[in-house]
Amino acid sequence: MLGCYDFCAHYEWTFEWLRREGGEPLVRRYWEEAIAGDSQRHAAELIIGKGFAGMKEYWAHTLSEEAAGYTFTEKPGVFRSDVHECPTKGFLLRNNLQAYGDYCDHCMGWVGPVMKKAGFVIHHEHNHCGQCWWEFRSNENPAPASAPGDLAGSSDVRQRSGWKGAETVLDSYRAATDPDDKRPN
Amino acid sequence: MSLPYTDTKPVGAADFYFAINATFRFLLEKFGQEALRRYWTDLGESYFAPVSADWRARGLHAVAEYWRDFFKAEPGAQVEVEEGSNEVVVRVNTCPAIAHLRHGARDIVPCFCQQCYFIGEAMSARAGFTARVEGGNGSCRQVFRRADPALPPQELSAIKEATC
Repeated sequence: MLGCYDFCAHYEWTFEWLRREGGEPLVRRYWEEAIAGDSQRHAAELIIGKGFAGMKEYWAHTLSEEAAGYTFTEKPGVFRSDVHECPTKGFLLRNNLQAYGDYCDHCMGWVGPVMKKAGFVIHHEHNHCGQCWWEFRSNENPAPASAPGDLAGSSDVRQRSGWKGAETVLDSYRAATDPDDKRPN
Repeated sequence: MSLPYTDTKPVGAADFYFAINATFRFLLEKFGQEALRRYWTDLGESYFAPVSADWRARGLHAVAEYWRDFFKAEPGAQVEVEEGSNEVVVRVNTCPAIAHLRHGARDIVPCFCQQCYFIGEAMSARAGFTARVEGGNGSCRQVFRRADPALPPQELSAIKEATC
């Protein structure tokens, strides 16, 4: 039986199984159809129905259940999340597990399609070490990503000493909803 | 602790059962039953290889220990594990996955419970054991014993379809 205790490990293993079966397009299709459209349909219903309040409701439940370290910041026109200890990436790092190329892409892989459907765009960065930040705005709002500390103050994950070290590969997205909209490093 | 991968929290997040069910549905609808069974077998042989290695090294006691630890970390599971000299019997009185999927009003893939045979058999085969499953749809009985060509094969009809 597949369990939920080690879910992120066999979930990540599954990405690589799918990639071998049908290439990266199949992995993207899996994130969009199986995860965004089926598994996380409760998230989509909340976000499409309630906007920022739905985001807060969904992630407050799920990040608490997964014992994540995170903060939310809501200001006019923007909802921001700073994840200081990603529970699933942390599990993979602690157990030295990597089957697929970039596990972190799965978040944009399912959150992106949900936000697109709900009329939002995403500014986002992750450092592959269990830290990331997200800013969600209406797709009619052209505001750029905030400067470090401007929105979230001392909770801004970019102000951590370990946010970007010499070896860190930082993946960035601006006004995106697609996992392949990653900006070149 | 006999689990190969460990977390900082004692039990998993039950909403992940939604993703497991959705993954099975995705594979079934896109590629059919044989592909889904191959996925389960590949998981058993590859992802669970460290568990099989432990079973091969330490025998039936390791099998019993694994299932006790496994279900202890699954929220809502009610399971008894009985270790005999020739077999380990796992009585799943409340399957945590089926219970949570029902609680969340999810459409459960009808062949959901077959995962326990295909994954369990692949894990077992690598360790010189074989698995059999009876029941399903919320409670079942799983038996792990030494592989023996004289044993009748698993009857898939003995595994119930899952319903909401």
